[in-house]
Amino acid sequence: MDIRKIMTRRVLVLDGATGTELQKRGMPAGVCPEQWCRDNPDVLKSVHAEYVAAGADVIYTATFGANRLKLDQHGITDVAGVNRSLAELAKESAGKKVLVAGDIGPTGSFVEPFGPLAFEEAVSVFKEQVRGLVEARVDLFVIETMIDIQEARAALIAVREVSKAFTMVTMTFEKDGRTLNGTDPVTALITLQSLGADAVGCNCSAGPAQMLEIIKRMRPFAAVPLIAKPNAGMPVLKKGKTVFDMQAAEFGAFAKKFVRSGVGMLGGCCGTTPEHIRVLRRKLSGAAPVPPCRGSLSALSSARAHVILEGVRPLITVGECINPTGKKALQEDLRQGRVTLARSLAQQQVEHGAVVLDVNAGVPGIDEAKTMRKLIAALSLAVNVPLVIDSSTIEVVDAALRLYPGRALINSISAEKAKLERLLPLAARYGAMFIILPLNDREVPETFLERKKVIARIVKAGQRYGYRKSDMVVDGLVMSVSAHPRAALETMKTIRWASQVLGVNTICGLSNVSFGMPERALMNDTLRALLRKNGLSMVIENPLRKKTRPNRYAADVLRAKDKDALRYLAFCRGLQQKPSQPAAAVKKEMVLSPAEKVRRSILDGNREDIAAVIETALHAGIAPEPLVHDIMIPAMSEVGDLFDKKEYFLPQLIASAETMKIAFGRLEPLLRSDSAPKIRERVVILATVQGDIHDIGKNIVALMLRNHGFSVVDLGKDVAAAAILDEIKKHIRPVVGLSALMTTTMVNMKQVIAAAQQEKLSCRFMVGGAVVTRSYAHSLGAEYAADSVEAVRVAQWLSD
Amino acid sequence: MNVHFFNSIPVIPPSKEIFSRLGQVQGITRITAARRAEVERYISEASALVELRGAALRCNIRSDGETVTIASENNPALKSAALANLLDGCAEMVMFAATAGETIVNAIARDVLGSDVTRAVVFDAVASEMTDAGLDWIMRYWNQELRRENKTLTKRRMSAGYGDFLLENQKIFHALLDLNCLGVTITPQYILVPEKSVTGVAGILSVQGE
Repeated sequence: MDIRKIMTRRVLVLDGATGTELQKRGMPAGVCPEQWCRDNPDVLKSVHAEYVAAGADVIYTATFGANRLKLDQHGITDVAGVNRSLAELAKESAGKKVLVAGDIGPTGSFVEPFGPLAFEEAVSVFKEQVRGLVEARVDLFVIETMIDIQEARAALIAVREVSKAFTMVTMTFEKDGRTLNGTDPVTALITLQSLGADAVGCNCSAGPAQMLEIIKRMRPFAAVPLIAKPNAGMPVLKKGKTVFDMQAAEFGAFAKKFVRSGVGMLGGCCGTTPEHIRVLRRKLSGAAPVPPCRGSLSALSSARAHVILEGVRPLITVGECINPTGKKALQEDLRQGRVTLARSLAQQQVEHGAVVLDVNAGVPGIDEAKTMRKLIAALSLAVNVPLVIDSSTIEVVDAALRLYPGRALINSISAEKAKLERLLPLAARYGAMFIILPLNDREVPETFLERKKVIARIVKAGQRYGYRKSDMVVDGLVMSVSAHPRAALETMKTIRWASQVLGVNTICGLSNVSFGMPERALMNDTLRALLRKNGLSMVIENPLRKKTRPNRYAADVLRAKDKDALRYLAFCRGLQQKPSQPAAAVKKEMVLSPAEKVRRSILDGNREDIAAVIETALHAGIAPEPLVHDIMIPAMSEVGDLFDKKEYFLPQLIASAETMKIAFGRLEPLLRSDSAPKIRERVVILATVQGDIHDIGKNIVALMLRNHGFSVVDLGKDVAAAAILDEIKKHIRPVVGLSALMTTTMVNMKQVIAAAQQEKLSCRFMVGGAVVTRSYAHSLGAEYAADSVEAVRVAQWLSD
Repeated sequence: MNVHFFNSIPVIPPSKEIFSRLGQVQGITRITAARRAEVERYISEASALVELRGAALRCNIRSDGETVTIASENNPALKSAALANLLDGCAEMVMFAATAGETIVNAIARDVLGSDVTRAVVFDAVASEMTDAGLDWIMRYWNQELRRENKTLTKRRMSAGYGDFLLENQKIFHALLDLNCLGVTITPQYILVPEKSVTGVAGILSVQGE
């Protein structure tokens, strides 16, 4: 039976929940369902038979957990045998008219890089299952209830490497519209349909209403039929039991809505019964399937995000920085097997607007394929954007595409015979998009007309492997204008033709054009603007680089209108000679006195400007001591009051404290030379007690105390009692602040205080920390400070 | 017993919870646009530094109302009436842990020593909330796994160090979950290192459909 043909004529009805039906028929909790079914074949066959009788066109084999990892937990090792025998039971029940789908569920272990299961191990585990199902001659395969896109990929690749049968994949999405592992429906669709899934959709975790919304999100981007297997509503608590309470009639009422949204196969999951399927069958009788609204999709995906390369959209920036060429630090990192710098570059580029990242692992002397795998794994965890595999080495591209948990873009495939013959089928196997580099074996074509021929040849070759134009991106291939004055013009023509006539996406790396020219950034940015006007869709550049505005002198060079670039060079010389422009207009400010500006800066936590504001106040003749005592400290007290009233929250308090600290740092030397009242004679010793490593609260207290004129001796964290006592002895009646965050360490506060009392040391204690309470503090004979603001008040009181 | 490890738990920083942890009270705290933008920028920076990983283990248990004994080598016991009450009626439980990793903790430590304490407190709040959210995620994962067995986790979870469920029990979690594999160690005072690491336990309940 050709399922694809059948699906053009009618919507197929899938079966409903199997687990609950088996439980109703006596399957106890806690057993291995697959083994129980083998031991009770008639029960399983009766479930299958009921779904067949209800009108299901497809029944799933009871092999959801029949993979090595799950069966091993029950001591079962004959994976192929279990799968074969359970599939055979389904075949017996199905008869000739109903299709049997070999059911593959998750292993329970996330696949690298998201989990510990190695990718090839995952593929191998699934292949064992697939072989058993193939032996039983199932009609198709279903990979279902997947929450990890990488595991879904491993299963799909496993099926594809054993069988050509129709294979559908359904993912499970949570309330937030993503799988637990963070994949949204469109991203999953792009990855799976490009990898060769014949149908894609969702099952479980959602009732029909919620699942319909997911299907609607997928529909505009689906090049394959969609599948839905919703639960019988959302689980509700009834008389202490959790039930799926959507009855068959209500469930069936969604059938036609699913069909209109592009669902070609519809069934039920948790809570559904043969009655639900019966109603679906009735509702779908005569319903005409709605075919996918597109044949292909120009899009890239990562595990958790996607980029659509169609329609009206801004120029897409492909970050180029993860390329060791000319970067010693990155080369060294990769040689040492580290990916830290690459991760950091990835994050920075994304923060600066890169929507896709180019990844190159070409360092002489290293195992490039191994390094590329490492980079793919690390970057897939570090950032969500899709990646470009920048290599023309077959082994490297193969390693990368196999592991990459999305749909990648290969940079690049040229018309060189060896590359065409090997890279194209490789890219096709994994459904990757690829960049066409208009180079051939003999030379770099300089003119647009020569490039056009090369591009056409590669497009034709790609089409032989099933590629469509939407899967390809043409590289405009820009050369340096300093050596080839018409280089940019030819690139513009190439881009214009490729985007407007050939109808494909286009890409260009900018930096080559300006090699050997002054003001390279200016030249590159002008080229970007010109190429964009000619239809450029993607640009490879350094997103961290500050952009300049396009410039007519540069444009004339690029358009070959400035012979030998004379005018441009003169313009650049002029740039270098000009004095720097005055700063941008000064902001209007409220007219505040210098003293008031100091107060406001502290209240606002204006760390950036306080130094300048203090200087202004000093120049205005305000003496340091009144500045501290009459302006700054009252301002900090006001901040403390606002914090107490919850009108300020912690970042505001700390920003004010840091502002105060900067101000104090500037003024303190002036205060010492000034015969002013004593500052910093009040000593507070702070410590996190022995065994405790938490200190952020203590450090905030230290900051606040210093801002209020205390001299703080911070002994750090995990401080032994003896060390605290030794410090106490160095000072006259210090205040001692002890901090502990855990119940197991707060007991050490008692030890310190008892030891101090025993030695009759003259000091006063205050304590704090997440688990410390006021009553505990008082039981120790200490004062309590709930937070840093209270700590200042307590310290002031204890010092007086 | 198989420990499930999760190398990358995808959690979006829960902004509302982070602001709340930093002391924002709706309707009372006044935050300027500039301060909000600054805090949100720090939240974004922090989430890039958090490497949220986790582990979970499903195990059979016996309870006598005061102690929960785990069916494992040496039958470790978790002494807590509160825990026994939570697990009342459960023949199994799932114990789990999440860690934000050491990169964010190191960043907090650097900033808190004086270079940018404002950023440090935001980073600290982000790390704490994301780690908690990591435990929420692990519970959602297990509910997904258990659904086909018609089982579910208890709605509540408990962590060692609260009530009568003493922090000392954390050593059992550390050992059974093999947290060294996540780069998490434990001090003699039962504190997990890096410090933004948490453990939890929830019971597995059978549910019945109609």
